[in-house]
Amino acid sequence: MLIEIWTRDGYSGNEEAGLIDRLSRAGLEVGAAKLSRLYNIDAAWPRGHFKRLLSGLLADPITEKGSLSGRPGLDGFYRVEVWLKRSATDVVGESVREAVHDVLGLAPRGVRFGRAYYLAAPGRRKPAGGAAADPYQARLRAVVARTLANEIVQTVTIA
Amino acid sequence: MEELFSRFTSLNEKELVRLDKAFGWSLSAAELVQARDYFRKAGREPFRGELESLAQTWSEHCKHKTFSGPVRFRSGRKVKKYRNLFKETIVRATRELDRSWCLSVFKDNAGIVEFGSDGKWGLAFKAETHNHPCAVEPYGGAETGVGGVIRDILGVGLGAKPVLNTDNFCFGRLDSKKKLPKNALGAERIFRGVVDGVRDYGNRMGIPTAAGGIYFDDGYLLNPLVYVGCAGLIPAEKIEKKVRPGDLIVSIGGRTGRDGIHGATFSSANIDEETSSSAVQIGHAINEKKVLDVIMRARDRGLYGALTDCGAGGFSSAIGELGSETGARVRLENARLKDTGIEPWEIWVSESQERMILAVSPGKMPALEDILNSENCEYCVLGEFTGDKRLLVTFNSETVVDLPMDFLHGGVPSVEKAAVHRPPRISRRPPASRAPHGRALRELLSHPNICSRHSVITQYDHEVQGGTVIKPLQGRYGDGPGDAAVIWPHAATGSVRDHAGFAVAHGFNPAAGRLDPYLMALYSVDEAVRNLVCVGAEISRTALLDNFCAASPAAPEVMGSLVLAAEGCYDAAMGYGAPFISGKDSFYNQSRDAYGKDHPIPLSLLISAVAPVADVRRAITMDLKRAGNPLYLAGVSRKGMGGSVYNEVHDTRNNYLCPLDIKAAVGTYGALLRAIKAGCVLAAHDVSQGGLAVTLAEMSFSGGFGAVVDLSSAPSEKGVSALELLFGESPSRIVVEVSREKETEFRRLTGGLPVARIGSVQERPELEAGLGGRGLLKEDILVLKSDWKRELL
Repeated sequence: MLIEIWTRDGYSGNEEAGLIDRLSRAGLEVGAAKLSRLYNIDAAWPRGHFKRLLSGLLADPITEKGSLSGRPGLDGFYRVEVWLKRSATDVVGESVREAVHDVLGLAPRGVRFGRAYYLAAPGRRKPAGGAAADPYQARLRAVVARTLANEIVQTVTIA
Repeated sequence: MEELFSRFTSLNEKELVRLDKAFGWSLSAAELVQARDYFRKAGREPFRGELESLAQTWSEHCKHKTFSGPVRFRSGRKVKKYRNLFKETIVRATRELDRSWCLSVFKDNAGIVEFGSDGKWGLAFKAETHNHPCAVEPYGGAETGVGGVIRDILGVGLGAKPVLNTDNFCFGRLDSKKKLPKNALGAERIFRGVVDGVRDYGNRMGIPTAAGGIYFDDGYLLNPLVYVGCAGLIPAEKIEKKVRPGDLIVSIGGRTGRDGIHGATFSSANIDEETSSSAVQIGHAINEKKVLDVIMRARDRGLYGALTDCGAGGFSSAIGELGSETGARVRLENARLKDTGIEPWEIWVSESQERMILAVSPGKMPALEDILNSENCEYCVLGEFTGDKRLLVTFNSETVVDLPMDFLHGGVPSVEKAAVHRPPRISRRPPASRAPHGRALRELLSHPNICSRHSVITQYDHEVQGGTVIKPLQGRYGDGPGDAAVIWPHAATGSVRDHAGFAVAHGFNPAAGRLDPYLMALYSVDEAVRNLVCVGAEISRTALLDNFCAASPAAPEVMGSLVLAAEGCYDAAMGYGAPFISGKDSFYNQSRDAYGKDHPIPLSLLISAVAPVADVRRAITMDLKRAGNPLYLAGVSRKGMGGSVYNEVHDTRNNYLCPLDIKAAVGTYGALLRAIKAGCVLAAHDVSQGGLAVTLAEMSFSGGFGAVVDLSSAPSEKGVSALELLFGESPSRIVVEVSREKETEFRRLTGGLPVARIGSVQERPELEAGLGGRGLLKEDILVLKSDWKRELL
């Protein structure tokens, strides 16, 4: 189950502005940016268990929101997902795994932690047709590899 | 290659080198021949684990072959031979100084000096580098660098409690336009990742990160340097460790995986999913915190006789080192593993993080297990130390290593290295002024090597443990650049009635090293010592760490610079009466750029200095305190703009480095210290990068006061220009604010020394400098501060 957590509007300005500024310094102009934290919890449990983890463990109810079915309202944004490779130690994932056990009394098979970046090109919508038909996405991939991910230890997908 | 390995004892030198390259051992041809001849004599082929053990134990990282090997140094017609460069320079100074307060030097994971007045405590101090891992994966590299040096402190004696982390970084310029090779990371990326890694590990461990520095130069674009240090407190009666035959070999902390096996060879390999887990280590601070808590409890109950950390070489070096006098029997099937697909020899040399090895008497194992279980800290018993002086490692019925300890530790052949010195052209022409002084000051304040580091420093928890008395950011607004950190380690000693503390400072000057490596060493030690003076530390009991980073020692010019710098360390240590207590070196810091050109780093020597502060309540900061107080300059301003930041911004065509008069510096510092102790001095700040004008500006805007100075009264060499007075970086100078009520006493204490009143603190927020009635600059301190307070990150 993938649980996605993000900072509520009104609290997220600094992290979004910082990301836009960082990508700009690396040579990519970005119109808007949103950030999410991703927790992939490997367990065959009822949905209610995951809802409890979302609200009781992973998200701060005042400053954050979360979802079990993806983040809504981001049509036209590129979604960049960054995960540690399976072969790399995931310290956050390991800590969350222990915390999940403390909350539910059940241990998942594993927990992996990742990040999602939603980026909108300035002044235009994402074209249909994928990377081949979209030079902006190709540039985005190159800049992400230089700024947001290290492909020695992480995997990157852009959609 | 397996076929070649199977007939190792019959291989010729060429084949041995081919095998070495394929297996990533990094052994030299002479070392391979030595190993081959040993196994020939033994009448058998080696096991893979044996060659891996030799490669680890004989590596530059573990054996320091370059520094502790023979060198033939030539400078012009002069030739000097060293049998052991390290022992004949750095160690020699310590031996000749023979300070009674040095409790353990050059023999354990860190140096230890006496702490406090009752003889109950020792202060352990160590600095390490983690350069190559940070170039490949900055976050993980920095994390594991911090984790490693903390384990050095945990593993010194019977374990010290860490009370301070330090960090010093060298990166390429963030605005560099140089084209990078395909897989190289940019300077900003490395910078950001390294800072994040140091922050996350130090903060999670609950250790303050409160001293350090950042240096930008394109010489580090492909090879960043990441120096990480740690200081800790240890009870004096817990300094000696001893392994006894029969002691159990107990591994505690993290599990063993395929992390860091031959990590150094991966930088030039294709990057894919298979290589990643071996190439990069990711730190796990929470696991290390558990290890720390176990060690502190078990140490105080006397539950083990010796311990050390698993660093480079993993079990191989840790168990090999602890068992070097006894021998060891290791059963690798007992190791707790992260992966099941790992080969036995990989378990043996894996550099998985957060592991420590303890030598535990069997009778004490149940009590130790109770503590381990209560702290939720994983452990395993790998075997026992024997009395046969052999290293026998097995995995079930398979032999992995069966070697005598004396060959493992004493078999490495020493090869003489050639060293040569060719001094660069030095110009002593009068320096040309290239910009109005006020504008130049503003440019210098915004220079990356001078501007504020607040965006990095504020990410670190420098308050945890509640003992950081003099903080890295100081002054009225809590953002002035401090010279040294002062720590009151009551969290370790448990005593809030005793106000004894210690100060830590650094000296670093690769720009001077490009011109004269010998003087660089002197300048760096002087800078570290005068930074200690600035907070009121007892410099007569300064102890030093040396951390050299250089390019390939196969280049005679690199070795020549190293020899000169090592000689400089000897002379500086003797001159300041400050012994070296520990150190480390890192070589092969050079890479090829996108055009195939080699880029060696400049010779880089970090001097870390520690000295006691008898009463932390009397330590002082660098910000101006009160309008009307007199300002004094201590130390002589000399000719020469060599190595200065001004020269980098506006080339003056003068690159002369002035000599350093250590005797005069020691006299001046001693007098200043007496004045600080007498309460005459309210603020002190050293003159370093950017020169006197930058020092005055920083003191002014940090205190929220202006200053007016006339430099005609400054102690100075005859003929020194206004430019050199303002922006020259001649060493051994400190600006002090003196309490006007105690000025007479200050003058008495500093009488006969090059200490002169140059001006006073003023309410008006302006820095005004003149020279005998001629105005040199007049700048608003708020404007100066806005230039200085850049966001580096």
